[in-house]
Amino acid sequence: MGVVQIIPGKIENRKKKKKKNAWLATVICFLTAFIICLPLLMIPGGAFADSSEIRQMLSPVLGESGGYADWHMLPFYPTIEHFHRLLVGSPAFYKLFWNTVGMTAAILAGQLIVGLPSAWAFAAFTFKGRDFLFGLYVVLMLLPFQVMLLPQYIVLQQLDLYGSPLSVILPAVFSTFPVFIMYRGFTQIDSEILEAARLDGAGEMQIFLYIGLPLGRMGIHAAMVLSFLEYWNLVEQPMAFLEEQKDWPLSLYLPQLGIDQAGFAFAVSVVVLIPALFVFALGQDALEEGITYTGTKK
Amino acid sequence: MESKKKLWRGFAIFMAVMLVMTFVSRIVYVNRLPRVHWANPTAASITNKLTAEVTVELVNSEAVTGMEGLLVKRVCVAAGEQIDAGTVLYEIDTEDLQVQLAGLEAEEQVWQDQVSAQRGEAEREMVRAQEDYDTTVAELDRKIADETRLLEDAMEDLDTHMFRLPKEDAPDEVWIAWADERKRIDREIEERKLAIEEAGFEKEKVLKEAGREIEDAKSAQNEVEGAYSSSYSAIGQVQARQNKIESWKGILEDGGRITAEQEGTVLEVMLQSGVRMGTEAVMRYANADSSRIFRTIITQEQKSMVHTGDTVKLSFPGSSEEVGETIDSIVQENGSYTVTIWLEPAVAVGRTEGIMELTSTSEIYDFVVPRQAVHNDGGNCVYVLEEKKGILGTELSITSMTVRLLDENEDNAAIADELLTSDMKIVTQSSKELSNGTAVMEY
Repeated sequence: MGVVQIIPGKIENRKKKKKKNAWLATVICFLTAFIICLPLLMIPGGAFADSSEIRQMLSPVLGESGGYADWHMLPFYPTIEHFHRLLVGSPAFYKLFWNTVGMTAAILAGQLIVGLPSAWAFAAFTFKGRDFLFGLYVVLMLLPFQVMLLPQYIVLQQLDLYGSPLSVILPAVFSTFPVFIMYRGFTQIDSEILEAARLDGAGEMQIFLYIGLPLGRMGIHAAMVLSFLEYWNLVEQPMAFLEEQKDWPLSLYLPQLGIDQAGFAFAVSVVVLIPALFVFALGQDALEEGITYTGTKK
Repeated sequence: MESKKKLWRGFAIFMAVMLVMTFVSRIVYVNRLPRVHWANPTAASITNKLTAEVTVELVNSEAVTGMEGLLVKRVCVAAGEQIDAGTVLYEIDTEDLQVQLAGLEAEEQVWQDQVSAQRGEAEREMVRAQEDYDTTVAELDRKIADETRLLEDAMEDLDTHMFRLPKEDAPDEVWIAWADERKRIDREIEERKLAIEEAGFEKEKVLKEAGREIEDAKSAQNEVEGAYSSSYSAIGQVQARQNKIESWKGILEDGGRITAEQEGTVLEVMLQSGVRMGTEAVMRYANADSSRIFRTIITQEQKSMVHTGDTVKLSFPGSSEEVGETIDSIVQENGSYTVTIWLEPAVAVGRTEGIMELTSTSEIYDFVVPRQAVHNDGGNCVYVLEEKKGILGTELSITSMTVRLLDENEDNAAIADELLTSDMKIVTQSSKELSNGTAVMEY
C-alpha cells in the first residue's frame, strides 16, 4: 500500500514539475521572441509617428543630445503623413515596387522552369556522375555571393548583360538552392510508385507531370517561398550589377532615404513587409515541410 | 483551405490597390511637375531702346514784372499761348489807376516842396555869410588904409621935422622942443604901425571867422543837398516814384492795357483778375531766343546704354515734331543720372515736356537668350534643361548655371560662361518656380 501510495505522489510531482518547466520554457520563448521581434514592432510605431517626434526620439542617435534613444511604441502625435506621401506622392516607390515584383516573379518562374526539371532529374533518375553533379550543386549553394561576384560579373560582361535586369534575374534563375529544396521534396516520393507508373506504361514526362509535381508540391512551394523571401529583399546583386536606378528593386530604395526621412522609411518598410507576410502566410505549411525535408535523408 | 483563399484574396486586393495607387501617384506627380518652355542660345546682337520722359527747362525766359499796387482788371493770355509783340497781356483797372496815380503825384509834390524849402534856406544862409564876410573885409581894409595914410602922414611929418633941425647954436629950449616933437612923431609912427599891424591881425582874424561862417553855410547847404544826393534809397524811391508816375501815365494813356514787348510763348501766368499786383513777376514767357535744355533722370541700369555724345530722338506729346539731338552731359546724382541736352534755339519752343528715345545695337554676342531666362539667385543664372536618369527613368531636370550678364534689353540678354554651348536647352518660361535639380516637363 505504501508503495502504491508513494508512486501516485511521485507522478503528481513530476507532472507539476513538467508543467512548471513548460511554463518556464514558454516565458523564456516569449521573452526571446519579443526581443527578436522588437525591431519589427518598432516599425508601425515609427511609420505613424510625426517627423519631429521621430527626430526627438532619435536625437541621441543623431548626436543632437546625450543618453539613449527613447522609442515610443505608440507615437504621441500619430499621423498618416508618411503613408500619404508614400502612397500618393511617391511614384518612385511604385516604380521600384513593380520592379521588385517583376524581378521576383521572373526569378521564381525561371527557377521553376530550370530548377524543377533538374531537381526531378536528381531525384528520379540514376545516371553516371549524378552524385558528383549534385555535390557540385551543393557546393555552389554554399558559396557566398561575394565569392561568386567577380566570376558572375565577368560572365555578365561577356554576355553583354551587365547593367540590365537580366544580370540579376539570370544568376538567380540558375540558383542551386531551390533545386536542392525541390530535390528533397521529390525524394519523399516512393520509388515503387514511380516504378509502378513505368510498368503501367507511363512516360517519363507523364510521371513528372502527374506523379512528381503533385507529390513533390510541398517541396516546390517551400522552394518558391524561400526564394521569394530571398529575392524580394535582394540587395547585393542589384547593387553590384544594376547601373540605372530605374531598374533597381525596392530593397535599394530604403538606403536612399536619409535619417531625416525616418518616418517615411518606416512607412515604406511596412508596405514592403506586406507581400512578404502574405507569401509567408500562404506558404507557411509548405515552408515548414520543406525545411523538414532538408533535414531528412532517404 | 478557406483561410488560404482569404489570404490569396487579400494578397490580390493588396496588389490591385498598389496598381491603382501607382497610377494615382503618377498622376499626382505629373500634375505637380513644372511645365517649361526652352530655347537654345543664339548668336545675336542686343538692341537697346531707352525711352525716358523728359522735361524742357528754359534757361533764360522773359519775366513780366507786376505793376505794384495796381488792380488787375482782366488777364488776356493763358499759359502755352503764342503771343506777338504788342499782344495785350492783361488790363489794369484805370479808375483805380487814376486814384493811385493822383496819390503818387501828390506824394511827389510834397517831396519836391520839402526839397525846395531846404535848398532855399541853405542858399540864404550862404548869401548872408558871404555878405558878412565881404562887409567885414571891406571895413578892415578901410581901417588899414586909414592907418596907413596916417602912418604916411607921420612919416612925412618926420621928414619935415628932420628938415627943421635947429641950428647948432640954437638955444636948448629949441633943441628940447625939437626933440620933443621928434619923439612925438616917432611915437605916432610907432602907434600907426602898431595900428596897421593890429588891423592886419584883426582882418586876418575876422576873415578867418567869416570864412568859417561861409564854410558853415556851405556845409549846411551841402547837408541839404547831401541828404538828397547821398541816399541811394531816397534817390531810388524818388526815381522809382517818378518812373512809376511816368509809367502809370503811359498805361493810363494806353487805356490800362499791358502789352508784350516781343513775340514768344506764355509759359506761366501768375495773376488773376481782381487781384492787386505786387513786386514779383506776374507772367513768364519765352521768346525764340531763349535757350532750352532737355533734362531727364535715368537709372543705374539705363546708364550703361547712354553715353555723352550719343544722338537721341526727341519727340513731344501731341506734336509730330521730332528732332535728333546730342547728349551733352550725364551727371550722377544720388544714385541716379541726370541726362542734359542743350537744344537749338528754335527747337521745342513752347514745350514743357517730351520723350527721349535712344536706340543702340551692340556687337554680336555668342549666346543670347530671352531675358526671362536669366534669373537672379544671388547672381545671374540660367536654368538648363537636361535629361537625367533616375528611379523613374529618364526625366527632364533643371540644372542651374551661373552666367555673366554681358548685355540685356527688355526682350533678350547676352550671357557668357565657359560651360555654355549653343545646343543647351535654356528654360525660358516655367509654370512654377524652379530650382537646381527640379524635375520638369516640356509644354
